[in-house]
Amino acid sequence: MRRKTALLLTAALVAAGGAFAQQAPGPFTPAQVEAGRAAFAESCASCHQADLSGGTDALPLAGSGFMSAWKTRSTAQLYKKIHDTMPANAPGSLDDATYADLSAFILHANGAKAGGKAFTPTTDVQIGSIANGTVPADVSHPAETAPTEASTAAHPSPTEQMNVPGRFVVNEKPGLLVEGHIQNYAPVTDATLTHPADGDWPMFRRNYQGWSYSPLNQVTAGNVANLQLKWMWSLNDGGTTEITPIVHDGIMFLSASSNTVEAMNAKTGELLWENRLGPNPRSAAPGGSTEETRSLGLYGNNVFVATPQADLYALDARSGKVVWKTHLTDTPRLGGNTGGVMVIHGKVLTGLTECGRKGSPDHCYISAYDAATGKRDWKFTTVALTGQPGGDSWGGLPDNDREGAETWIAGTYDPELNTTYWGTAQAKPWRRDLRGSGNGDTDYANSTVALDPDTGKLKWWFNHAPGESLDLDEVFERVLIDHGDQKTLMTIGKPGILWKLDRVTGKFLDAKQTLFQNVYSGFDMKTGKPIYREDIIDQKVDQWLASCPGPEGGHDWPATSYNQPTDTLIIPLSQSCVFMLGNGSQVYYEMPGTGGNMGRLSAYRTVDMKPLWSFQQRSPFLTAVLSTAGGVAFIGDFDRMFRAVDVQNGKTLWTTRLGTTVQGYPVSFSVDGKQYIAVTTGLGGGSPELKPGTMLTNVHRPANGQAVFVFGLPAVR
Amino acid sequence: MVMKWFGCPLVLVLGLLGANPVFAADYQTHLGPMPLDDESKSVIAGGGDATASYEGGALTVKGAFQGLSSNATEAHLFLSPAIGVEGKKVLDLSVTRGTDGTVSGSFKLTRTQAEALKTGRLYIQIDSEKAPDVPWGPKGTLWGWLLPAHEMAGQDVPQEGHWFIPQLDVPSH
Repeated sequence: MRRKTALLLTAALVAAGGAFAQQAPGPFTPAQVEAGRAAFAESCASCHQADLSGGTDALPLAGSGFMSAWKTRSTAQLYKKIHDTMPANAPGSLDDATYADLSAFILHANGAKAGGKAFTPTTDVQIGSIANGTVPADVSHPAETAPTEASTAAHPSPTEQMNVPGRFVVNEKPGLLVEGHIQNYAPVTDATLTHPADGDWPMFRRNYQGWSYSPLNQVTAGNVANLQLKWMWSLNDGGTTEITPIVHDGIMFLSASSNTVEAMNAKTGELLWENRLGPNPRSAAPGGSTEETRSLGLYGNNVFVATPQADLYALDARSGKVVWKTHLTDTPRLGGNTGGVMVIHGKVLTGLTECGRKGSPDHCYISAYDAATGKRDWKFTTVALTGQPGGDSWGGLPDNDREGAETWIAGTYDPELNTTYWGTAQAKPWRRDLRGSGNGDTDYANSTVALDPDTGKLKWWFNHAPGESLDLDEVFERVLIDHGDQKTLMTIGKPGILWKLDRVTGKFLDAKQTLFQNVYSGFDMKTGKPIYREDIIDQKVDQWLASCPGPEGGHDWPATSYNQPTDTLIIPLSQSCVFMLGNGSQVYYEMPGTGGNMGRLSAYRTVDMKPLWSFQQRSPFLTAVLSTAGGVAFIGDFDRMFRAVDVQNGKTLWTTRLGTTVQGYPVSFSVDGKQYIAVTTGLGGGSPELKPGTMLTNVHRPANGQAVFVFGLPAVR
Repeated sequence: MVMKWFGCPLVLVLGLLGANPVFAADYQTHLGPMPLDDESKSVIAGGGDATASYEGGALTVKGAFQGLSSNATEAHLFLSPAIGVEGKKVLDLSVTRGTDGTVSGSFKLTRTQAEALKTGRLYIQIDSEKAPDVPWGPKGTLWGWLLPAHEMAGQDVPQEGHWFIPQLDVPSH
């Protein structure tokens, strides 16, 4: 089979060469292309995609998106760029020959023809003279021409791996590594989810309203300084960790790299079961922004896991055994999922990422699955198609070219209105000059969509960033807050505008700017429609555009907390700017007026949007905020600090420094009447990790050390 | 009602400053690295601070920088279409030819330049020997927009009630 594969690949290379017979041979060999192909699969494809088309936070490396940036530059510059900046979370970690092979493969992927001369770091040829951006079939359709044993080759047996010097080895094969035997597990019901027990954290943001607020009050502003470590558990290296520890009935459920789902005794840290669903990561280095799982779901006796590979699992919460498994799309290996799941009325709801292929009927959608069987109940397509409400907002773009509107944060739910609320990400390509949608609003991208959870039927939508053009998502948490009879929905996206909507009707109520931005020059306070800066409206494909904030946000996935007793919304913010090219290339700089501080934590009273307090620091925050009835808010940052602040005034009450970046969603729970605080350290991810990784040259942290830490007050003697 | 982001509560801010004059300068900026990536960050590096006062149509700029990876070569004031967006060179500043040093200058501003200063669209840029030619445009090492003087609380020190946000605290143009 491998011989056949080799013949196919050789044929593909010859065909590619034949198609550009007039071109001079490129300064690289066919062997380097093949070596580069393997290295790319191992170290690059998880972000840039197997067909080099690019992904969230990863540039396209083949076709017009690549050539627009590189045709006038040289192969030596390409080598240096890859060598100095890649892999994103471990630049320079490959050997020089591998970087040369990767350069050769990328040139091949853009139509350059292999020759007899080997590529070296000093090879210096203008890329436009050897490549024309025509992507050969072996690159554009890798599944059809790549080795049928490609997955095996990418994941050889541990014995085979150990024979390759320097190769990352995962010793455990996927599977149920530790089977659980949990007795007297309390099944999760609709009532449990609607009114969680005070000591539980049974879903992403703890309650359906998305508050990230615990009613526990043992830990207070007066005693939080006494917190001490109760236990910790190391998570797998590799991949990306941004998980929410889910706690129910004294059991903590986690998911880590390799889709390793674990149940722990939440009080003692004892492992109860472990199921490594796989696949294993291809590298020990931290992963990209498409490899994390942010939330798990509970219902009945099952725990639900949506993997970054778009597989949805039901595991038995008592044993860890797989109950059922389904794929979120009808096409194998298509799609992704990072937001995780929520459960409503016995249905598992989840979003979709890495979806919507130009020229195909594939689109992104939110979908619901029977919790008992895994059968899909409904799906709601998150781009408005011709004939649908908002379908005329894509500038006449054919339906098959309406891409984007991924849903990478799980939704919230109002049981009284029986409505679930989800944020959607921007249309794709990001830049409207490439997208082809003109100045159309591109509904339902970058919108709040309100759906009936039983049918998936759209109730209303509100577009926060019509025609968005700079990767400024409005996809993040929807927080449901009541003020008397007024039912509001609050959310904040990357531009840093804090929105308040009427969640019954979707009507715009109010907005507040929380940090500097220069993308919008004005704002219609009657309709909630922003007005773009002139050069953004008139953008040209080859033009670098300034954007403050950039794709790091403003606000990103580190979520807010609504401290209900004080009516305070506490918001993690990031302060950085970018220059961005049409193909997504970015360079970064400090945000004006911030003194070079990338992190900001701000609090607003939600009834009137009054600013309450704010502070800045050099490192950005990389966890959500957790607040409690004890008047304390917790947050972690890029520079390893986990911090407790006073909800009333923002003053720091307690800090502890952990092993690496504090990243994820902290939670609070109780067991046997004692309150605990849990938080993860984590690595990997997109802009929130990449921007400070480049800009904060004086901040150092290990590239491993993912773990969960549990803190509590000292035992009373 | 269409609201321009830039310029809402300036009166409030100036009022506060006038009542309790903490700053001798009218404008201030932090000088930070110009746009960079992992490839260029070793040569686009350093930091600094500058202040400016404007009286009788004359602008006086004073600042200090440190930590450049090669000697500073020249410095200028630029006029940008919006805060945080690159602009055009309008005035020359004096700069120490070293990796640490000072930057300064005094000028009579034109009406356009004065309007730009008032609306936060004048920025300082310092160039250095190793500043690379970059495909994204502005070649240089440090830059910073002159914004109305404002309180900068220390790291981790909360500010209550109002804190400086440029598009809210700088007049629109």
